[in-house]
Amino acid sequence: MTLPLSPIWIVDLLGSSLMILLSFLCVQLAKKLKNHDPNNVIWTYLLWLCYALAGFAVSRSVGHIAKRILLTAGHNDIWNFLRPYSGAINTLMFVVVASITLFFERTWKIYQQILKDQRALQSAHGELIYLNRNLEDLVAARTQELALSERKYRRIFEVSRDVIMLVNGDAEIIDLNPAGFDLLGLSGLSEDGAGGIRLSDFFLKPRAWTCVEEALRAQGYISDTEVTLKRRNGTHFSALLSGTAEMGKDGKTGSVQFLIKDISSRKAMERQLLQADKLASIGQLAAGIAHEINNPLSMILGYTQLLLRSEKEGSQQHDDLKIIEKHTRNCKTIVGDLLSFARSTQTVQEFGHLHGAIDEVLSVVRHHFELDGTTIETQFDASVPRMILDEEKMKQVFMNLIMNAKQAIGKKGAIRIHTQYDRSSSRVIVQIADTGAGIPAAHLSRIFDPFFTTKPTGEGTGLGLSVSYGIVKDHGGEILVESEPGKGSTFTLILPVSSVEAEEESDNGRRDAVNYR
Amino acid sequence: MNTLDTVQSDMVTGDCTPTGQKPMKKVAFNITACCSLLVLFGFVHQAGATQVHAEPEGLWAHQIAHLFFLFSMGILIFWLREWKLVKETGWRLVQYSAFFFILWNIDAIVVHYLDERNDIYRTINAGTWHARVVFDQQADWLGFLYYIAKLDHLLCVPAILLLYAGLRQLFKQAQSIKPVDKSS
Repeated sequence: MTLPLSPIWIVDLLGSSLMILLSFLCVQLAKKLKNHDPNNVIWTYLLWLCYALAGFAVSRSVGHIAKRILLTAGHNDIWNFLRPYSGAINTLMFVVVASITLFFERTWKIYQQILKDQRALQSAHGELIYLNRNLEDLVAARTQELALSERKYRRIFEVSRDVIMLVNGDAEIIDLNPAGFDLLGLSGLSEDGAGGIRLSDFFLKPRAWTCVEEALRAQGYISDTEVTLKRRNGTHFSALLSGTAEMGKDGKTGSVQFLIKDISSRKAMERQLLQADKLASIGQLAAGIAHEINNPLSMILGYTQLLLRSEKEGSQQHDDLKIIEKHTRNCKTIVGDLLSFARSTQTVQEFGHLHGAIDEVLSVVRHHFELDGTTIETQFDASVPRMILDEEKMKQVFMNLIMNAKQAIGKKGAIRIHTQYDRSSSRVIVQIADTGAGIPAAHLSRIFDPFFTTKPTGEGTGLGLSVSYGIVKDHGGEILVESEPGKGSTFTLILPVSSVEAEEESDNGRRDAVNYR
Repeated sequence: MNTLDTVQSDMVTGDCTPTGQKPMKKVAFNITACCSLLVLFGFVHQAGATQVHAEPEGLWAHQIAHLFFLFSMGILIFWLREWKLVKETGWRLVQYSAFFFILWNIDAIVVHYLDERNDIYRTINAGTWHARVVFDQQADWLGFLYYIAKLDHLLCVPAILLLYAGLRQLFKQAQSIKPVDKSS
């Protein structure tokens, strides 16, 4: 087969010319792209690729054109001289184009990273501009939020009934709420005045503070730990202590937030319940014994009295029987008292007035007391109504309490009797306070126990307060005692008033009370 | 600064060991270099290690360059597709351009290979516009392939034309997106 070479030559010449032209046009376009966005690395890359392709096109096309012209013109020798250079340059240009092309992957990744950074910068820039324009408003809004938050938490801090306290690593009080100032007896100090005072100083037992410190160090917090704290004036109280430590960078305790709850009232209530429980048990025992002893005593007394009839007065037997009779009567009195304590005796239910009962007792003892220099002050609430009570037994209660007060005072002193009607709880409160020696703390839990007495043998049976306790309980009331050794004691009787009797008798009571005064 | 100066100044700073060793190393290097040159040019009379690059190496280098070009275009297509750039018209045209360059490279490799074989054609009236090629009867189809393959500009011109079109499209696209304003 024979084919003409002219089509090949024509395509070769035209194609070579077009290659040069188009490669230059590509360079021009790539330059435009680069000028449009000089920082765009992809356009830079494309420009370099176009430069390489232009080089490739020129090296190849010029070679082809030169070859065609030289061979046609018969200058084979010149072409043979140029051929190696043309071919070598052409080969090199292939390699250059290919090498630049391979950099596309890396260039594109760099471009993406630049775009990412650019977006981040733009975002940050936008935020900065926004902050710059709205800084004052933002600061004002944030300040207001903070102020509100601070006010809210400050209010919790200020009005909390429990103690909220912040102490540093050396247990020095940094901040303390008003409840803390009151409870710890620091009311006289200003808020700044609490600085330098150490929480450990308020612990009654130093060992307890050491335990708290160790627990905080070991686990970072303590919760509901019962401790006894002492106020500045020396009095002490039970408290529940919770705290959380914030550790400093050096691993030592930075500061500790404490929450202290005064549980002295709860503890007193618990003690009271224990006391009531104990006395109820003793009462049951006493009632059992008293019932069993009462009958044999009655028999002994009866037979003794029968024997006395047949004996002449002044005889030895008569005297002996009199002694038996006297002691048997004493025993019966004690048994009677025990039954009163155990609330086993019959209680008369009739309308009476406490002020009348108190006045009757006072009329008996007042003269005697005043001779000894003991004054009696009364402060009766006119609104105290008439109540359903056993007036005789209540007189016995008041007599016991007043006589005890006198014995605690000794010679000179004062007894103050105060009554009050609490309408909201429908209770009458009677307080009998003395300025006597007071009751030691160790005795306080035992004073209502039967046969507990601090008086010398023969001067008291130790049943007075037990009997009083039984009578008050029989009336549905309570008897409480507060005492401070050296300063005196206060017995408080709380007696309930039913709503019916309060309504029916309030007017009469008021009238009677005026008369009693 | 001579060695003595260096040592003195190092004594001032209290650290004379590192700078004191540098001149010694330099001297040792100079001696070694001089000896090597003396051995190379003074005592050796014949250099037998230089390789002779005869004629076929040029063609092989050229063919390998074509392969490298082909490979790089393949890689370019791979990344354009991998990053989904071909969804944009501009890059899609660039992809087509790369494809045509691949075809052109294959074509060129074939032509260069056949050029070297003297048994498939003969040229009549060489050097004139009436020149013709006569193919060997036993390899007629090969001659025809050679004839067609010689028209390689039918592949490389479209390739660069597509590149131009792609760049044009990218430029249009770039113009529609405002470059980042530095002042803002």
